Amino acid sequence: MDLLCLGLNHQTAPVDVRERFAVSADLLGEASKDLTEKPGIEEVVVLSTCNRMEVYALTSEISVAEQSIKQYLAGDRPFDERDANHFYKKVDNDTARHLCRVVSGLDSMVLGETEIFGQVKQAYTQALEAAATGGTLNKLFQKSFSVGKKVRTQTSIQGGQTSVGSVAVDLAEKIFGHLKYSEVLVIGAGEMSYITAQRMMERGAKKIYVVNRSLENAQKLAEKMGGEAVSFDDWERVLAKVDVVVSSTGATEPVVRPEHVESVRGKRKYRPLFMIDIAMPRDIDPDVGKIEEVYVYDLDTLKLQADENRAKRHEQVQACEKIIENEVQKFSNQQRNEHTQ
Amino acid sequence: MAGYLGMRAVHHGHRSRWTVVWMLFSFAAQCAVLGIRGDLRGQCPLGDIGEILVFLAWSITIFYLLIGSTYRLSLLGVFSAPVVSVMLLIAAIPGVMENSPERAMTVEPWHEMHAALSVLSYGALGLSAIAGVMFMVLNKMLKHHEMKSGLFLKLPPLSSITASMVRLTGVGTLVLSGGVFCGLLMPREASGSMVHLWAAVTVWISYTALLTIWQVRGMTPSRMALSVVSLFIVSLAVFAAL
Repeated sequence: MDLLCLGLNHQTAPVDVRERFAVSADLLGEASKDLTEKPGIEEVVVLSTCNRMEVYALTSEISVAEQSIKQYLAGDRPFDERDANHFYKKVDNDTARHLCRVVSGLDSMVLGETEIFGQVKQAYTQALEAAATGGTLNKLFQKSFSVGKKVRTQTSIQGGQTSVGSVAVDLAEKIFGHLKYSEVLVIGAGEMSYITAQRMMERGAKKIYVVNRSLENAQKLAEKMGGEAVSFDDWERVLAKVDVVVSSTGATEPVVRPEHVESVRGKRKYRPLFMIDIAMPRDIDPDVGKIEEVYVYDLDTLKLQADENRAKRHEQVQACEKIIENEVQKFSNQQRNEHTQ
Repeated sequence: MAGYLGMRAVHHGHRSRWTVVWMLFSFAAQCAVLGIRGDLRGQCPLGDIGEILVFLAWSITIFYLLIGSTYRLSLLGVFSAPVVSVMLLIAAIPGVMENSPERAMTVEPWHEMHAALSVLSYGALGLSAIAGVMFMVLNKMLKHHEMKSGLFLKLPPLSSITASMVRLTGVGTLVLSGGVFCGLLMPREASGSMVHLWAAVTVWISYTALLTIWQVRGMTPSRMALSVVSLFIVSLAVFAAL
């Protein structure tokens, strides 16, 4: 019996190919069960996320199992051999090593991300409930989860945020604690404003106001985020209420100047104000940062922090690989001992 | 020890589990010293500088143990432990604490209450000043975009530090109100110099004014932090001089 992993991911296949082979999240158990009924396959776990589609199987004959899986994934039509280039194949120890790397976030688009751990767990649970797994895959997946936990606790692979939006949200939490009492003002309806404001909403921001020179665009963005559109003439009034300002307009001159903030300080009772300037050229006059309770961060500062965090994560890869290698060897020895007994 | 362990943990970027334990040991030792001194004096052990320092260290420690865990400000221990250590070290210098304190013939309850409540309030106000220092450190880091140190990662959010700073100032002022009230009820012969009492009244007025401004008009948190630190240092210096 051999372990086999057949799959494609963001590194080997473009999104349109990944889309074709994707399995819906609620059908992973069913797909796993279906595959166990195909020739050469004993146990199966199907994993499908937006960045990868992988089938982990225990096979009696690798080549037969490979064909069965490809044909199943192709659906009613015959498997297009041009797609074969996008697939990778791992066998035995390489399968265990690959799964541990996936669970630990080493194979993810954002190195060290934690979401994949839950996604693998979900895929495995569905396969287990569908009775598509047996002793070998159960042990392999349990092992990969313990390795994933070990990697995360013994290294800093998930330390620090690696995107500008997330770094900004972390800073907001450093100032305000939980964001559930914080209101956010978004100036400009660009993509970056949207992403940053969305991160704030994900972490529980109380309310979002969107201001744009075009009220129509502001309304569109506000609707998308469940916020409130505000006319551009009215943004100074809103400034008195909010805790965070995200600015990303195409203006060539600063939009937010010290006098704007000075005029509302009393109304705000001198509460802290966190201002994120992700526009180029900058929207917020640097002198605004000289006001005592105002913290101004521009795109360069946030990007530098995200880059440093990413570099720190890359420095941890070697330590993670070492842990994985040791654990894969242990798993391999256990498997060998069980087979010889 | 608590301060050292806390700082080492912060430097290595993980949580110090032993700071609270050492603070508890320290608290037990302070209780024992104050108990013995109280027994020797036959009254509240506030008869010399050494006893006042141990009493002050005791009240800072008790407020830390109460507030530190409640408001998830365990790092307050890292900042307060060195202050407590310095106070205890000074108190331990030979001669700072009288070897054979004179036993009180009579005990005047209002005077005892005034002294005990005043020093207790200074524990809360001292801890509030320590929270103020924590605020100033984090505020400087945020203002200058210094986000790399372990201390930055481990410090609680500015809002939490501000909240505990204001609460501790409130608690300290409330306890001091009791101390001042008892002081006003002291018989004249027990009150000694009236200057001492009026200094306490001035300190009480200053803290009350600070809290009123914070509550009514508003104030930048950094100015509040600077005020609680300065007021504590100045009032401590005034009482030391008296």
